[in-house]
Amino acid sequence: MTSTLPAVTGSEATARPRPVPATVPAGRIQPPSRLRSSRPDLLLCGVLLVVVLVVQGWNIADYPTLSDDEGTYLAQAWAVQEGRGLAHYTYWYDHPPLGWIQLAALTWIPAMISPESMTVGTMRVVMLLISAVSAVLVYLLGRRLALPRWAAGLGMAIFGLSPLSVVLQREIFLDNLAVMWTLLAFTLAASPSRHLWHHFGAGMAAATAVLTKETMLVVLPALFITAWRHSHKDTRKFALTGAVTACALIGFSYPLFALLKGELLPGSGHVSLWDGIAYQMTRPGSGFILEEGSGSWGVLQSWLYYDRILPLGGLAGALLLLATWRWSVTARALAGPALTVAVLAALALRPDGYLPAMYIIQALPFLALVLAGGTASVAHAVLRRRRSAAERRALTRARYVLAGVLALAACLYVVPRWYDGARIAVTTEANAPYQAASRWMATEVADPADTRVLVDDAMWLDLVHAGYRPGLGVIWFYKADLDPEVTESLPRGWRDIDYVVASPTVRRDAKDLPNVRDAIAHSEPVAVFGEGEDRVEIRRVATAGGSR
Amino acid sequence: MAAFTLWWQMHAWRTPEVLASTRFSSPDGGEHLSFSLLLPARHEQAVLDHTIQRLLESSHTDFEIIVIVGHDDPGTTAVAEAAAARDPRVRVVVDTHAKKNKPKAMNTALPHCRGDVVGVFDAEDQVHPELLAHVDHAFRSTGADVVQGGVQLINFHSSWYSLRNCLEYFFWFRSRLHLHAQKGFIPLGGNTVFVRTGVLREADGWDPDCLAEDCDLGVRLSSVGKRVVVAYDSDMVTREETPGSLMSLLRQRTRWNQGFLQVYRKKDWKQLPTLGQRMLARYTLMTPFLQAFTGLIIPLNVAVALFLDVPVSVAFLTFLPAVTALVTFVFEVVGLHDFGKQYGLRVRFVHYLKLIVGGPFYQVLLAGAAVRAVWREQRGRNDWELTTHVGAHIDATDGTRDATAAPDASDRTREDVPA
Repeated sequence: MTSTLPAVTGSEATARPRPVPATVPAGRIQPPSRLRSSRPDLLLCGVLLVVVLVVQGWNIADYPTLSDDEGTYLAQAWAVQEGRGLAHYTYWYDHPPLGWIQLAALTWIPAMISPESMTVGTMRVVMLLISAVSAVLVYLLGRRLALPRWAAGLGMAIFGLSPLSVVLQREIFLDNLAVMWTLLAFTLAASPSRHLWHHFGAGMAAATAVLTKETMLVVLPALFITAWRHSHKDTRKFALTGAVTACALIGFSYPLFALLKGELLPGSGHVSLWDGIAYQMTRPGSGFILEEGSGSWGVLQSWLYYDRILPLGGLAGALLLLATWRWSVTARALAGPALTVAVLAALALRPDGYLPAMYIIQALPFLALVLAGGTASVAHAVLRRRRSAAERRALTRARYVLAGVLALAACLYVVPRWYDGARIAVTTEANAPYQAASRWMATEVADPADTRVLVDDAMWLDLVHAGYRPGLGVIWFYKADLDPEVTESLPRGWRDIDYVVASPTVRRDAKDLPNVRDAIAHSEPVAVFGEGEDRVEIRRVATAGGSR
Repeated sequence: MAAFTLWWQMHAWRTPEVLASTRFSSPDGGEHLSFSLLLPARHEQAVLDHTIQRLLESSHTDFEIIVIVGHDDPGTTAVAEAAAARDPRVRVVVDTHAKKNKPKAMNTALPHCRGDVVGVFDAEDQVHPELLAHVDHAFRSTGADVVQGGVQLINFHSSWYSLRNCLEYFFWFRSRLHLHAQKGFIPLGGNTVFVRTGVLREADGWDPDCLAEDCDLGVRLSSVGKRVVVAYDSDMVTREETPGSLMSLLRQRTRWNQGFLQVYRKKDWKQLPTLGQRMLARYTLMTPFLQAFTGLIIPLNVAVALFLDVPVSVAFLTFLPAVTALVTFVFEVVGLHDFGKQYGLRVRFVHYLKLIVGGPFYQVLLAGAAVRAVWREQRGRNDWELTTHVGAHIDATDGTRDATAAPDASDRTREDVPA
């Protein structure tokens, strides 16, 4: 705050709206102050949104394959809706619960209208809402970070249409929710009005993101830098303190929650936040990402299988921006997203870290933004750099020809690949075996209420709706070995189980789970849907038939 | 409720634009208004002369100083007469009321004012020489009826409560008052306040029976739609000191609270045109009591959550007030840093520590003052309890008063600015 006043001089007069000292670095493109009243922005954003929603929404229930994690989160959201606590098995602080509490709220109205719709395939529709909000936020953030309109639109298109995004954003992952909150935090932090409470809100959104998916914690430094760059030096200390305080206070509500439940520290006979964190921190590593054959390598390949352009191009864009920090205004404007990408990439490169398949979701919007920003940088360099008013016409024309050729080449490379991705996404039926198996279990088993089945999480809710007893009747297969309460209810081990729905996930994990392994070993397939690795078998356990 | 206070307290720092607008705009050099500066002084012989000298150093060319002394106070009168003899711009008015207080004294002087604008200062104020020029410009450029300048307690290092007291002033004058000015409802401060003489006479001066006559004046003027402008500049503020002892702070605070209560009961604020303004008025005048209430309820809430066996959701709710209080705390720490920065004062780590540790105790003090005010108002006791000042805000190098301030500090009492 200036504590000096100009001396009483005779010159400058008149009643005046007091100007704020300019803080915008020279040469930076100023985004319009009100995007919502800018017609071209609204049109571009609206058209892109429709395209993204069509590509992501069409055939959403049938592609990609239902994932175990989706089932987990949705089932826990169902437990919240039903008032059964934070999970239908003991909540053990695996993740902060805010993510599926939000899912519960999102699916609340459809589930009220039709309880049977509370299954993974159907409820994927709510993810469209999340995708839509995130995509719009990517555009808005791009504009607020001073990207030209076309580049912000490019970022939104990349984010929404990359085959990798299409696959991952369709699934009910907490990461998608967390990404939305993180984007909101960045957007608020980059608020052009530099309002104290916008920064405060950014802190709150960031905390919500972390409580939705704890891995968002690593993004916070990049968010802080964005807020720093976008605050005015006179009000910065209040704005940033506000943001940090808001974030910390909301973040602390989680340990407080554990404390109030008496589950903060480990002790006998109860789960604890401490144990939960310890578990997540000590998860066995999946190897070095660049070492062929390791688990992480496999995960990387699975991402690159869907799309190489966004992950690799985005990473290159981030490195380009960080390297040209000194010279490029775009690079400085996009410091936040570029840093986010760098941090996430560095974490993925840990020699023996645990790399889950959804890890890349949190990087997607930032990869898209830096890719778009990098493109804008290149375009600027080609079209404007060292260009004077007196430049010869021929040279100017050459600049435009070069830009056109580059754009055409990029389109020729990207469009066919992404078109393929989109075509697969809207036409493939990947979940027919699951649906058939679930139908079989619902219609062919005589007495569902008195039958005990091991299933994977994705099918669990289907069977609950079919009349099986949630928790101890229809059982998440790994709880049979890992949850003491469930294990106790199976005193005779596999003999107490009637059916196993052996999906690929169940078969894969069974080798480490004695009860599940035995149940599979002592059972015969009575129905098989699909073929090869992806088949779903319904196996009846040999002793079943009245001995229970 | 704590959230509202926080929101308003942080008003000035919302955006850089708002912050810039809270400052005085720099004067254009033209000086067209004349000032009558009222200087009520009671048993202030030690500091009065210094204050008058400083006021006379003002760069403005057209002002008079009217010192108001009591007929039963020969010491102060002598100092005032001596100053008047030295400089024709100083005049002395004697207040002969049997029972004396500040509004009565100022009403006595009002008919003698010749200036276009009446300004009020206290006898121990340190006024910046450029202030009048800035105020002159503010009147002319904004067409205001009232200009409120900043007042700042400076001696934050004196004690734990003076630290908090200073910060209260900082937030009030730096930020909150601007919000009030913008919303069109403002309780004025007790000094560094300037009113057009015509407007003041129209309003019949100050309410002689009100314990917070300045707050009352502000409420009455804004209720009839007069335009109030607030300007704050750390250079231009009038520097003051905190009460010398905890007891006198308590008394001072009791008086303000009681004054606020009286203003609330006078119901002038009900003439405010919009509901929002009336709600703001109601809320502002009740603030001391709500503040006291929350100060006591928060620890209780946390205790309930931690020690009683209540459902987790209920326990969570009981933490909400604590959260807003915590945010306020954090902003106070940042405010203290900003305060030190702006006034070029060295704020040490121990001061931050004092600020935080002292917080709950200060709450207890505020709660005590609130209860005491209600009790006194109920009993119909509304005489003035005076506040003692020792001059801690004036530099030790400032020899003119330092030597004299200490010996008679105990018997010199004066009234203070409600904030």
